[in-house]
Amino acid sequence: MMKVSVFWGCRITTSQYAYEMSVRETFPKLGIELVDLGENNCCGDPVKSMNDFAANYLAVRVLALANASGLKNLLVPCNRCHFAISEAKAIVEKNSQYGEKIFSLLKEEGLEYNSSVKIWHVIDFLHDFVGLDKVRKAVEKLLKELKLATHVGCQVVRYTDLGRVDDAENPEKLDKLVNALGAEAVDYAEKLDCCGAALMLSHPDSALSLAGTKLNAVQALSVDGLIVSCPDCGLMFDSKQKDAATTAGVKLNLPVIYYTQLLGLALGIEQEKLGLNLNQSPVDKLLSKVLP
Amino acid sequence: MSLTDLMSMAKPNLEAREKILRKIRDRALVNCFQCMKCTSGCTALKLLELKPSEIEKLVNLGFIDELASSDIIWTCVTCLKCIQRCPQKASPYHVIMALRNLAVEREAKVPEGYLKAVSQILESGLAETVQKVVSRKMETFDRESLKLPKINTPKESFQAVFMKAMEEKI
Repeated sequence: MMKVSVFWGCRITTSQYAYEMSVRETFPKLGIELVDLGENNCCGDPVKSMNDFAANYLAVRVLALANASGLKNLLVPCNRCHFAISEAKAIVEKNSQYGEKIFSLLKEEGLEYNSSVKIWHVIDFLHDFVGLDKVRKAVEKLLKELKLATHVGCQVVRYTDLGRVDDAENPEKLDKLVNALGAEAVDYAEKLDCCGAALMLSHPDSALSLAGTKLNAVQALSVDGLIVSCPDCGLMFDSKQKDAATTAGVKLNLPVIYYTQLLGLALGIEQEKLGLNLNQSPVDKLLSKVLP
Repeated sequence: MSLTDLMSMAKPNLEAREKILRKIRDRALVNCFQCMKCTSGCTALKLLELKPSEIEKLVNLGFIDELASSDIIWTCVTCLKCIQRCPQKASPYHVIMALRNLAVEREAKVPEGYLKAVSQILESGLAETVQKVVSRKMETFDRESLKLPKINTPKESFQAVFMKAMEEKI
């Protein structure tokens, strides 16, 4: 078993439990032992709008906690956390004066930062680190019956200068990961459209309208479901699908599941262990196609 | 130099403009040549009429006070398409974030959600509160009943240090 530290952040550990459960269930089956960081603090994402120094402090604090774990690879399953932490890392490594200010705050808590930790998201970790071959080999049940659309989200692919997990304009890794399980991934025009989650703090109706509009477009593809890999996208497309339908004035009944839940099904893990009873979208349609 | 917006009689605030430029460091706002790539791909354009290219222009001209007190800077959905596509590395996203920070520093109107997130972080270290969830069969679950392990929140020393970081000005 290869040990990898994991930073869960807020959304996953406070409400999007299905994502956490399915990551915890699937990774060990691929030979990865996940080690939680000693502490879990906000990555700084919502604070960026208020005070970006404080936001970067929070993000670098996460990296310092990862340093304390002694492990070189850090898994960050949330897109927004992944962006906040990656950007803060780039800033403190480029601007030493700014970095020193943050490091001295960390010292007050007995924490120390060094640049040795590599940051991974679920998508690039499975695609590049574990590798498609290993994923394919671990599959116990090919999901040949499924035709799916993927939504990779915004902050995990942009902006390229920062070094992101996939191409900004034509992300393909999540599709390939879906293919590796035997399912078909379809390309579609609205693939890069945003879920709207960030607007929930200031303009919730617009946020829901964005989510509803995208879901409606995906539904028109006649796919079996939409695959997400970010807790904010999961919140908008799954947990809030009913609200999104009302706000956007459309009828929605599209199954939305996390990639790791899909992976878990292919690895033969029980539904309940993957939190599949917690999805609020009508995932039973999708499950009945896969499970006899 | 004297510039006046004849519609509102507003004058540029060049000092505030300098502040924004300092804040965005190496992001070359001044190089924006209004190609509109940012605005044409902006997620918030259709619904909320955010025009990142206009924000760039106004900041370049120095009309910062108007922007910092406007709701428009809070309509950005942070999809990062503008910074990705900007041929001049002017990054409207970072300019908008700098304007938000300035609005906070000036105690202008800030959406409730952001204030709540910060007070939540002060309290527990996390921006969200732990929730119970309901399954499709209407059963209630929490971390414990889902057999999820306990997650440690930051130790006590965190609060004071985070407060100190929040006091840092632009």
